[in-house]
Amino acid sequence: MWRRFVQLGARELSRTQSTIAAPEKWDLYAGVLVERLPVISKSLNPLEKQFQDLLWRVEYENSLKSDFELKHERDLVQAELIKKGKMQVDLEDSGAKQTAQDLKDAYVEELKKFQLGSRTTADDKANRTSSTDRCLEDTLYLLVQQKLGQQQHLILPQGKRLEGESMRQTAERVLREQCGQDLQVLFYGNAPVGFHKYKYPSNQRTESVGAKVFFYRASVRSGQVSEKQAKFEWLPKEALNGKLTNASYSESINKFLL
Amino acid sequence: MSLLAAFARLGIQGSRSGGVAGAAVARCLHISPVLCAEPLKKKKKLDPQIIKQREDRKKKKIEKQIRRLEKNARQLKPVEELEVPLELIDEKDKRQRKLTPLGNAELEERALLKKQWAHFKHEERVADFQIIDRLVQAQNKALAELRSESEELYQAAIEVDPQLLPVAVKGPVATPPIKNYDSPDGDYVHQSMKWEVK
Repeated sequence: MWRRFVQLGARELSRTQSTIAAPEKWDLYAGVLVERLPVISKSLNPLEKQFQDLLWRVEYENSLKSDFELKHERDLVQAELIKKGKMQVDLEDSGAKQTAQDLKDAYVEELKKFQLGSRTTADDKANRTSSTDRCLEDTLYLLVQQKLGQQQHLILPQGKRLEGESMRQTAERVLREQCGQDLQVLFYGNAPVGFHKYKYPSNQRTESVGAKVFFYRASVRSGQVSEKQAKFEWLPKEALNGKLTNASYSESINKFLL
Repeated sequence: MSLLAAFARLGIQGSRSGGVAGAAVARCLHISPVLCAEPLKKKKKLDPQIIKQREDRKKKKIEKQIRRLEKNARQLKPVEELEVPLELIDEKDKRQRKLTPLGNAELEERALLKKQWAHFKHEERVADFQIIDRLVQAQNKALAELRSESEELYQAAIEVDPQLLPVAVKGPVATPPIKNYDSPDGDYVHQSMKWEVK
């Protein structure tokens, strides 16, 4: 028994020594997942459409006739009577009187005149990925072109933490620097929603081994990314996964995408 | 001096001309302060028996009201907005739709569709829970990593963000808003007057 304790203690000691001996230093980065929330509701799939039709039919069956329907029926009966000659046509009255059918036609005509907003936009057709006015049904995520090492990558906006900043402050600063003042966003809390780490290539390591990126979620309120940003794209989830070249980065991102 | 003389003359005139003017002068000049109230009346002492009787009567009245309320406790006070208009109750037969009863095949089809719907909704719900689990896991991982880097940053991260409340959310709608659309807000009659300069 006593020997076991000693052994355990020794192992514990050796482990702590090893961690003290080689503390790996990592750079801290803050990334921002900027999303444009869906503007319009999802289109119904076939089953949903079928069920909606059923609900409407049941609703109709259980309902009672409205005043308008009663008026329509009365009009029909009256027309029938006039046709048969059992009732005098009141000449003075008939001109001014509108039947329920007339009213209905007028209403339908008025509705036809009104143009509803289109669910697909011009930017959808042009496939302009820099616009937020497209893919209205889906959530769009912002990717920006950034230089990591020597290469340019299309990734979520990210930047290094400065001394004295909290991660949230870093995230806000990074977004301001990369996307300009115009883009108004709402950050969802102080806590990061996701995490990714990568090591620098061994020939470029100076004092730190790699980078740990803490992602913050934010949604766009208004505005657009400023023009000085070289390249940026707003993409729905599937297209986003197609654009991300690094497999491990894509995996980390997908963990906190909706 | 001249004032005194004037008063004296007034007094003489008053006495000469008689009662009316003299009274007017007397009303204008006060020697004692004006009282805008009269002294309190002495309170009448009531017979204690009468007081007791009155109290008893009050008590009985209230008790009677309570009894009446208790008797009708089952009856709820009507809410005007919830009352079905009498007209509709009278015309109920007239308003009933005369539809042919559903056939067996139709009923069967509906039952099947409801089952499919239940399945679909169940799967959707399970998928939702999985997404929530995944998000929570991702966040916990991030927080744990942050804590291992720096306790200070972790404490800053788990702080409550007071700016999130009150939250305003615009939900998804069926069709997107039309740009620069001026909603017709009823008829508008401009009533203010117009003034023309000649």
